[in-house]
Amino acid sequence: MTYPSKFDLPQGTLDLLILRVVALGPVHGYAIAQRIQMISKDALQVQQGSLYPALHRLENKDYLTAEWGPTDTGREAKFYRLTAKGRTQLKTETESWGRLTEVVAMILHHPLGEPS
Amino acid sequence: MNWFQRLLKTGRMETELDAELRFHFEAQVADKIQAGSTEAEARRATRIEFGGIHQVKEDCRESRGTLWLVSIAQDLRFGARILTKSPVFSVTSIVVLALGIGVSTLAFSLYNIMALQTIPVREPATVVRVERRSPENITPGVPYASIAYYRDNAKSLSAVMATMGSAPLVLNQEEKRVSATFVSSNYFSELGGSATAGRLFDAAQDDASSAPVCILSFRLWQRKFDGDPAIVGKTIRLGGKPATVIGVASEKFANLGTDSPDLWLPLLQHSYFVEGSKPLADPKFEGLIQMWGRLGPGVDRWSAEQELLALTNQLRKIYPSVIWDHEYIVVSPGARFFSFEGGPGAPPVLPIVGLLVFLILAVACANLGGLLMARGAGRQREIRLRFDLGARKLRVIRQLLTENLLLGLLGSMAALPLSYGALRLALVYSNAPAWMSALPDWRVFLFATAMGFVAALLFGLLPTLQMVRSKNNRSLWHQFVVCAQVGASCVLLILTGLLVRATLHTLYSDLGFAYEQVLAIDPGMSEHGFSPAQAQAYIDQFQNRLRAVPGVTFVSTARVPPLVNTMVMMTSIDVAGRRVMIYPNWVGPDFFQTMGIPLLRGHAFHNGEKNAVILSESLARKRWPGEDPIGKQWKNGKGVVVGVVGNTRAMELNNSDATEIYYPPNTDDLPSMSVVVRAAGDPNTVTPAIKAIAGSIHTGLYPTITRSRPGSERA
Repeated sequence: MTYPSKFDLPQGTLDLLILRVVALGPVHGYAIAQRIQMISKDALQVQQGSLYPALHRLENKDYLTAEWGPTDTGREAKFYRLTAKGRTQLKTETESWGRLTEVVAMILHHPLGEPS
Repeated sequence: MNWFQRLLKTGRMETELDAELRFHFEAQVADKIQAGSTEAEARRATRIEFGGIHQVKEDCRESRGTLWLVSIAQDLRFGARILTKSPVFSVTSIVVLALGIGVSTLAFSLYNIMALQTIPVREPATVVRVERRSPENITPGVPYASIAYYRDNAKSLSAVMATMGSAPLVLNQEEKRVSATFVSSNYFSELGGSATAGRLFDAAQDDASSAPVCILSFRLWQRKFDGDPAIVGKTIRLGGKPATVIGVASEKFANLGTDSPDLWLPLLQHSYFVEGSKPLADPKFEGLIQMWGRLGPGVDRWSAEQELLALTNQLRKIYPSVIWDHEYIVVSPGARFFSFEGGPGAPPVLPIVGLLVFLILAVACANLGGLLMARGAGRQREIRLRFDLGARKLRVIRQLLTENLLLGLLGSMAALPLSYGALRLALVYSNAPAWMSALPDWRVFLFATAMGFVAALLFGLLPTLQMVRSKNNRSLWHQFVVCAQVGASCVLLILTGLLVRATLHTLYSDLGFAYEQVLAIDPGMSEHGFSPAQAQAYIDQFQNRLRAVPGVTFVSTARVPPLVNTMVMMTSIDVAGRRVMIYPNWVGPDFFQTMGIPLLRGHAFHNGEKNAVILSESLARKRWPGEDPIGKQWKNGKGVVVGVVGNTRAMELNNSDATEIYYPPNTDDLPSMSVVVRAAGDPNTVTPAIKAIAGSIHTGLYPTITRSRPGSERA
């Protein structure tokens, strides 16, 4: 493998990341993968095998809506946009993710909990 | 896009999915070329990164949530292809299934027509039948005094109707009598009946003294009057009494209950048509007046029962002798042709028929199962190949089950016209009411489809499992299927044998008397208000004149002439705690000779003998096993046994152990007596003489002459 994934993404996390990236503006699938890779400084590489099923799932749940349109290079691509429902979902998911990491960190870093 | 749009636009979605993935691929290749690779290298690397593109696509399809349905459609298409590839097998299996499912569908359709469908009357849901019950008594009838009281006082019923059957009446002077039902004046308007000609009963019939009228059924109108509308306003004679025809009910009019009478008469004019009867005035009148009602708006059956029970308790104060102890009222749906709620002790008809029908289906399925197993051996290679190509076991089983299901449903579809045809024939031959339709309704469709599913499971499950089993262990499965098949076939064969035997027994075995040369003559005296003395004189004169006719060997009288009567009486006694059913009859002196029943002990009745009884051999044996019955008291004050005669199966053809008791006629019964005649040769040769004698003795009577034969119409 050229770019081995350094993490196993927990279940559902990919959906959250996709929502976050799409929230920046209409974007096609290839660009979503690129951005996640770029922002994570190559730490995360999203495989097509997970990306497209996740995109279609989110679209079917009405979090995303898609339109075909031309890219900068003039090719036709499917552009995804966040719906109102998706925006709410992103907000709640982000909050609960924040709380979860906080709690997990709290327990992991507690001095008394440190195994000796 | 919602689920349905996703399902319907599969084609467009496939193209878009392909375009989207292709774009991704091309973009990745373009990036790699920009980073300095050659195009060939870039493509190769991207293809490796992409992995299995078909797997990606399949995962995307799965996310639509429609894949299961699409794959069922694929399975069905594939199944249809398999079936068309071997048409002989397919047609054979569909025919076998259609027979199996058709029989059960036919049985269900009959049940549906009789018990589930409502009869076509106005607002059938609120039409109810009202019956009285007590712990000791069950009767479908309600005394008219009670009906009138309920009608005037019940608030839960918006209308009360009454009907009363009648013995067949002589129409004009024709030999074939017609059946009539007496009904209350609101009967037709309440049921929403319409007239094909003339008008139906209305408030004018509420006056008992109004001119006597009748309404013809469509069937009688066609049969007797050739559908001539000019019959309206004409006068016909019923039982010798003139009555004006005021209308003809429409063909589709549905009578309440199981009767379909030839004509309807006003209940209030009952005592005009049946002289001397007092069904309305006498609260103890024994004839059956049935009560029907229409529930008021928003009233259910149970609250109506409550109110009627309260009214019954008030009625007890007015007619203490009529109302039973602990009497209560049962209100049941009235717009049903027949209800299968038999009383306690009624034979469980439905479970028996259900079991029979299921056995037939099981045999059909076992046959087909065997066929499929044989085919399964041939398809083993195909299935092995699919496994080798990576198909999952469950997916292959589903494919095979879908094929079976397709076969089962095709069988259902073929069964529907089959059962429709059979039902139509049955309805025509049983002279069913015109509103009964053999066309399947949604219940029958549902039933047939469900039967298709059941059949598919029955015949398909074992062969399917056997086909996908990795070990080849056919013989055990096969033995199981063959055993089931042989077992069910045997049960059916035995049952068929029993039925055939019972029918043959009824038709051809010795009836215990020589019925072939016997004629019964019912003068119909009771309907014409004959007094016992008048009846005695008439019968004596008739018998004497008959004895002089050449070709007549014996003449006697009987209240219930064997094998001709539409009404059979029954009574019972308890012998050592066991109930013995007895058919009573009231007969004249020469009865046993006339009927050819052998006198085994004692003597026949003498003229004018009273307080004597004669028993059939079987009754004597049951009552006093191993003793001589002659001279014993039958019941207290009911007479002394003077003779024992051979058993007959005159009253109940299919029961050779039936018992009979014979009494001399009571004075009060004389107007109900029939005359029985034994001819030396063909009884038809003496019929003209009998008619001539009847006409010369009394011109107002039109006797019915019946030749007794097994299977003559009986109720």
